[in-house]
Amino acid sequence: MERRDFFKKAAVTAGAAALGTSSLDAGTTHQPIDNRKVADIAFPEKRPMITYSDRPPLLEAPREVFTSALTPNDQFFVRWHMPDIPTYIDPDKFTINIKGLVKQQLKISLKELKEDFEQVEVAAVMQCGGNSRSAFTPTPGGIQWGSGAMGCALWKGVRLRDVLEKAGLKKGAQWLAVQGSERAAYYKTPNFIRELHLDDLDDHVIIAYQMNGEDLPYLNGFPVRLVVPGVYSDSWIKMITDITVTDKYQNLFFMDKAYVIPDNECECETPEKHAKKTKPIWWMNVKSIIGYPNDGAKLTLKSQTVVRGVAWDGGAGIKEVQISLDGGKTWDKAILDSGKLGRYAYRTFRYGFKPKKLGEMKIMAKAINKLGEEQPLAKDIKWNHGGYKYNGIDVVTVKVV
Amino acid sequence: MKLMKKIVLTALVAATPMMAQVKEKIEVPYIPFPIKMGKGFDTVQANCLMCHSFGYILNQGRQPKKFWAGKVNKMIVHFKAPISDSDRKIIVNYLFKHYGNGKEQ
Repeated sequence: MERRDFFKKAAVTAGAAALGTSSLDAGTTHQPIDNRKVADIAFPEKRPMITYSDRPPLLEAPREVFTSALTPNDQFFVRWHMPDIPTYIDPDKFTINIKGLVKQQLKISLKELKEDFEQVEVAAVMQCGGNSRSAFTPTPGGIQWGSGAMGCALWKGVRLRDVLEKAGLKKGAQWLAVQGSERAAYYKTPNFIRELHLDDLDDHVIIAYQMNGEDLPYLNGFPVRLVVPGVYSDSWIKMITDITVTDKYQNLFFMDKAYVIPDNECECETPEKHAKKTKPIWWMNVKSIIGYPNDGAKLTLKSQTVVRGVAWDGGAGIKEVQISLDGGKTWDKAILDSGKLGRYAYRTFRYGFKPKKLGEMKIMAKAINKLGEEQPLAKDIKWNHGGYKYNGIDVVTVKVV
Repeated sequence: MKLMKKIVLTALVAATPMMAQVKEKIEVPYIPFPIKMGKGFDTVQANCLMCHSFGYILNQGRQPKKFWAGKVNKMIVHFKAPISDSDRKIIVNYLFKHYGNGKEQ
């Protein structure tokens, strides 16, 4: 699908979702697990984070990280799939191999990447397709993320298109298989490879070597990773070693079995009857997260409070974020930042108010994008067996004292 | 003056490798996940730990037997883990006993 077609298609899907019917045996959705504590132990180049696994490393950012448009590198989430990850890469020897249906095979060093191509930057949100998976019941297999399997950074690198142009595409070239350096314990285990269609590549798809002005942390894919703005992060291959151009799509485990959603209009199914036809996850839907206050926080009666958070989508851009303080009965517009980081980045929002009543209070945030798509309530999201694309209205419960 | 500039420049270039954010091999810490001991644990350790930490198991929460059986099957069918049929049964029973919710499905 051409990137520009997405906007047309997304509008149709949004309309269709509203017509979805409910069924008695349907799975349910609710607020994702919140308030998990960061671990005592810090991983390389990271501050202590919510830690699900050490091998492979799986790290989530706590809620309070999501008040700024750019996520610090040392709090940026980490998700690998295989147990064997290079723990040292010599930047002087590292190369990316461009092969397959190309006129000239290339081995591009980091130095060449930084000197022989136009250097470009893009601010973009990187979010795991399974972010907030803990919102689904029954439990879809996979990491039961809260809402912090995401971040937004200013990525610097070179356009993937420019690299392919240098190699020169042969007739019939259609697909790219991008592979990173992680390795399984067994040879027969499928490698983590992502296929991209050449039509998916616009000027924003880059091979990035820098993140927020620094080297990528190892755990985020040092020395280079793919950046595919607007798209879920399973496509953002880390530690890229090989890009193979082919004429045919190869059926791949992670694309065709793992990171898939039902290929129907509501992208939903029931636990008893999974959809027969599936498709790889791709564009992100509209979503927002409250960074402050966190769930369980204490606010002071009559004291000016500023709710802060971030909102994003697949690149249409955020039009509005609304806040509700009365359980969703009334909504009021939050103030958005200037949006100068572009349509693929977080838009930060803020909303000031004075708590007027003692006791428990719910704060809700809802983002609406420029296509008019808005976040549904958690309970209105439909179940899928992979637990992907949850984008429910965020709710934090605070106590006014 | 010109020479001076050149020297300064050379010094800068030479210093670059020293400025690397990570100068040597990274060490991913070991996390002792509090996995439960019991019948079948040795089999779980021998098979599951080849590819992933116990964090993966703990993170799933309490689940029906069908869920755990499906998980172990996925490791065999999709990830090609060489788990024998007898080990498969032992692992599923262990997982259900310690991380089950009492329900078959």
